[in-house]
Amino acid sequence: MDQWKIETETLSFAYNGREILTNASTRFTENAITALVGPSGSGKSTFLLTLNRLWETLPGGSLSGRVRIRFDGQSHDIYEPGYPLDRLRRRVGMVFQMPNPLPMSIFKNVAFPLLLAGERDRAVLAARVEEALRRVHLWREVKERLNDSALALSGGQQQRLCIARALVPEPEVLLLDEPTSSLDQRAARAVEELLVNLKERCTLLVVSHYLDQVRRIADRVVELSDGAIREGR
Amino acid sequence: MRRRMGKLLPLFAWGSTLTLLAAIMTIAGYLLVEGMPALDRTLIFGDTPPLAALLLRRPVFGGLLPAIFGTIALVVLAVAWAIPLGVASGIYLAEYATTTAKRLLDPAFDILAGLPSIVVGLFGFAVTVFLNRHFSAALHPCLLVSSLALAFLVLPYIIRTTQTALEELPPAIRMTGPALGASRLQNIRMVLLPQALPGIASGVILAIGRCAEDTAVIMLTGAVAAAGVPRSLLSQYEALPFYIYYISAQYTDAKELATGYGAALILLAICLALFGLAFWIRKGLDRRALAHF
Repeated sequence: MDQWKIETETLSFAYNGREILTNASTRFTENAITALVGPSGSGKSTFLLTLNRLWETLPGGSLSGRVRIRFDGQSHDIYEPGYPLDRLRRRVGMVFQMPNPLPMSIFKNVAFPLLLAGERDRAVLAARVEEALRRVHLWREVKERLNDSALALSGGQQQRLCIARALVPEPEVLLLDEPTSSLDQRAARAVEELLVNLKERCTLLVVSHYLDQVRRIADRVVELSDGAIREGR
Repeated sequence: MRRRMGKLLPLFAWGSTLTLLAAIMTIAGYLLVEGMPALDRTLIFGDTPPLAALLLRRPVFGGLLPAIFGTIALVVLAVAWAIPLGVASGIYLAEYATTTAKRLLDPAFDILAGLPSIVVGLFGFAVTVFLNRHFSAALHPCLLVSSLALAFLVLPYIIRTTQTALEELPPAIRMTGPALGASRLQNIRMVLLPQALPGIASGVILAIGRCAEDTAVIMLTGAVAAAGVPRSLLSQYEALPFYIYYISAQYTDAKELATGYGAALILLAICLALFGLAFWIRKGLDRRALAHF
């Protein structure tokens, strides 16, 4: 039987007093791709932000309910007081709708999560950066210019770089908020292939507006409508 | 009506920009015409050989070198005091302050920004007199007091520009660091501050200009007509804005007035050099951010 990786229980979220999620209760299967679909403003992106507590970086939000994630076989209540956020966010990676490389070199962008965690060994950094870039099929394109600014890459390359960066800490869950919406068809297909390959080692939640894409990659579809969860296939 | 407004507004905007540009060109041109004839070796070094003057082997009498050194020391010191304090306060306001704290502090800094410089000068002078009477007779108006008073004057510019530059960063950038496991401090230091650097740099440039031109503060806190090159922070000093004010108020002939215009040109050149330095440092910081580990 499939094991659940994430469980939300009566999860409600309001932003500046406006209710965005209402009693959202569901489970997400481990090593599967779940697509979150629904009309604009239905709370899909906000739902993702509640799974790594990233909403707390912006003022005005309030949350009730519970989110449990299984790490190393044990269920963790991520909203438990004192729960280490930096560790949570390394295990629950996120890729945003618009590519958001930092204004630094390609190498440093990908190595950034490791540098944050205190890794300074150049050999280790170089090996992990190369591995992440290979995984997103970007290594061949950038290996000769790792010291160039990441901002000089094309949109598709930037998004793959951001996925590589999110993969570097070896997350167990990857949240992707419309990761292909700013890409052309070819780049989007490359990212889709990549996501399908990633589910061997990751649980993926993908917000998508494209039904064709959902059909191609998703093992399960969850529909959000007016902040409430409705199950799909 | 709306169509006519649509045509008039861009015209008005163009006209305003051109007027401003013309005003700047007129001031610069006027200074060049009036000041260039006075710009010679004597204006800067007096009768002292330049090398001996620059190496501080011989004092300069009747030249602007002490005022040039005094101005540079004053601006560098004032900005050096103001940057860490101002940037730290801006970070506090943008990233840590509660809504209540912001409601109290925002108007306080606005009032501080609107303080006339003569009031800041008077406050600096009063504090110095108090310290002189009650703590140490060695304390008197000097380079240190002037630079501290000027730092106080320009602090609001740096605070506000830092705060605004940080607050205006889009949520996507704000969340990038935490999404990768950055703590709040790491996010500020490694993501938000480098992104806000252009805004902060513009505040520093404004501060440099304000420090270099202010006369009211330094008149009351340590600038004098003849003091030579300042040898320590506790020395009195000469400064170009004070010299320009002094000459324009007391000149006896056209030649003397021309030296005032010459001094104004040198002051402009120093400001430009300091702006250039600020840009260069910013570029250097950008390059460091790009550097390979």
